Amino acid sequence: MKMYLNSSKMLLLTRIALKHAFPKTGLSSYFTKKSTFRIQNVYMYSSKASSSTENVYNNFTDWETLSRKKKVSKAMKAYLERAKEHDEFMKRQQFEFNIGKRHLANMMGEDPETFTQKDVDRAIEYLFPSGIYDPAARPLMKPPEEVFPARKAAEFDEAGRPHHFLFYTGKPNFFKLLYDAAENIQLLHKYEDKVIRKKETPDPNASLDLNASVWLTKDQLEQMLVEAINDLEYDNFKLVMDRLVSLPYSYRCKEFIEKYRKTLSTQRFALEIPKPSYDENGCAFVTTYECLRKKARGDVTIKCPGSGKITINGQDLTYFEDTQSREQVIFPLIFTGMENKVDVVANIEGGGPSGQSGAIRWGIAWGLRSFVDKSMLEAMQVAGLLTRDHRRRERKKPGQPGARKKPTWKKR
Amino acid sequence: MNSIRYKLSGVTCSVLQAANFRPAYIQCRLYSGPTSFPDFFKNPIFRKEEQAKLIEINELSKLAISPVKPPGVSETSSVYYDPLVNKLINHVMKMGKKQLARELVEKAFENVKRIQIERYHLASSAEAKAKIILNPKDILHQAIENCRPLLQLLPIKRGGIVYQVPAPITEKRSLFLAIKWLLDATNDKERTIHFPQQFAWELLDAANNTGKVVKRKQDLHRQCEANRAYAHYRWQ
Repeated sequence: MKMYLNSSKMLLLTRIALKHAFPKTGLSSYFTKKSTFRIQNVYMYSSKASSSTENVYNNFTDWETLSRKKKVSKAMKAYLERAKEHDEFMKRQQFEFNIGKRHLANMMGEDPETFTQKDVDRAIEYLFPSGIYDPAARPLMKPPEEVFPARKAAEFDEAGRPHHFLFYTGKPNFFKLLYDAAENIQLLHKYEDKVIRKKETPDPNASLDLNASVWLTKDQLEQMLVEAINDLEYDNFKLVMDRLVSLPYSYRCKEFIEKYRKTLSTQRFALEIPKPSYDENGCAFVTTYECLRKKARGDVTIKCPGSGKITINGQDLTYFEDTQSREQVIFPLIFTGMENKVDVVANIEGGGPSGQSGAIRWGIAWGLRSFVDKSMLEAMQVAGLLTRDHRRRERKKPGQPGARKKPTWKKR
Repeated sequence: MNSIRYKLSGVTCSVLQAANFRPAYIQCRLYSGPTSFPDFFKNPIFRKEEQAKLIEINELSKLAISPVKPPGVSETSSVYYDPLVNKLINHVMKMGKKQLARELVEKAFENVKRIQIERYHLASSAEAKAKIILNPKDILHQAIENCRPLLQLLPIKRGGIVYQVPAPITEKRSLFLAIKWLLDATNDKERTIHFPQQFAWELLDAANNTGKVVKRKQDLHRQCEANRAYAHYRWQ
């Protein structure tokens, strides 16, 4: 609801554009035509049995009972009504979105035909600059199918009989998923027995690599199943899938498993090796900007043929008074064994010694990627040196003494 | 504009009622940024000897794909880094004054070193000299190992009476108790003696398998032995 109101400004634009683009009558006729077509469709489907008039068995058929209209259940009737309403609504939204997109493209002076969703987001950010803190509350213009979640189609026929065999569980898609997983587990057990009976050895190369992906979160799974599930059910899902994955021949169900996993793309650039630049002396150097940690921010330059000189804000390592911060600064250098091969120049401001040394640590590690080999890069990644620490101090909440701390409980 | 907005909200309201409306990417977030890493971030393996193990079994490049938490502010891959010392510093720390805690522990190590060197030079034969451990970190490890209890007493209520029932102890809990007892014994000192001095003495005593802390451990073991008749209350 909130989201929708945010986009109302944009819809205003689309309305204006719509008035200019089409006469009103033409538009409405377009919709009515579509919707009647749909109703006809449904009707044809329900009276399929009586449609074959040119049949040889015409004479033997008891037309009287067959032609009696099949009784449409109340639920089906209500569903059809709702579906019609929703379809019309979605069509209207889609239409308005497309018009709005074209109008936006014209406003931005770009080609409406090649205006993508990325361009739309950029344009909205430019036209409606928002100071709202939470990105989710800022104005947006997304395709209607993203704003309005998918809905289930009719789960029962005209007579009110459900299509799905698990309809009466209330959550057919979710329980079908568990059912499939359990079936796969049984199949794998059977396959394992067969292999053992044949006295074959399992293929060592064919195995499932699940390091780079995680199970869908509860929200993602709900969206995929179009069903609301509770925490216990989500735990059950994870449990049964973990059991499936733990089996020795789980790679045979790879497709099924990967459908419910999401790949992690957080480490996209960490293992890339950027090219260093060269100064007038032919000295290679890499500058990393935006080295952040807590409230500290700064930049770190690494010069490759060097003697291990460290300069922080014009001073040497004694810029930090405590040992811990000094250790943190030289951590990546010691880890890679480059402590006497490179020079480091860092400019840092904000925060305290811990944050500043952490920012410099990340900056040095990030810059060193250009001067180490592939295996060392992987070692740095496993050591967590290439991960940016984006954590911040958690805010204090009203009504309690700290971020999480609650006042002492008193009965009265 | 207003009229359009009202009309629009009217439409959405009807849809709301009809379709159990839930926007697809509504997020419930209380903080501007996450204050911790998500579950799928793995713990970092930053010490050289642990990484060497990974390289041996060819696991390193597989692990490099997945996201890893950054090492903490007090963790390094330096040869001087010791997780046990780190843990000890955290136990000594009060009110978040880590720098002071670290200074105190380092001062205690210096005292241990001084005492041991004195003993080393006083020792008459080469055999006696070889027996003396000069590295204070080795002494700490030895002391902690000697202070670790093997059993613990759990208060279990049966028939209205609380029995002290002997039970096995986890590694983590025994480490905690060892450090806690060492610090308890150290803080039980006269006011004129400073923490580093007393702690150095306690460490040396414990490393030698004598002193207050080892006695406390033995007392606990004796108590467990005496209460072995109650052991079945753990599961009955």
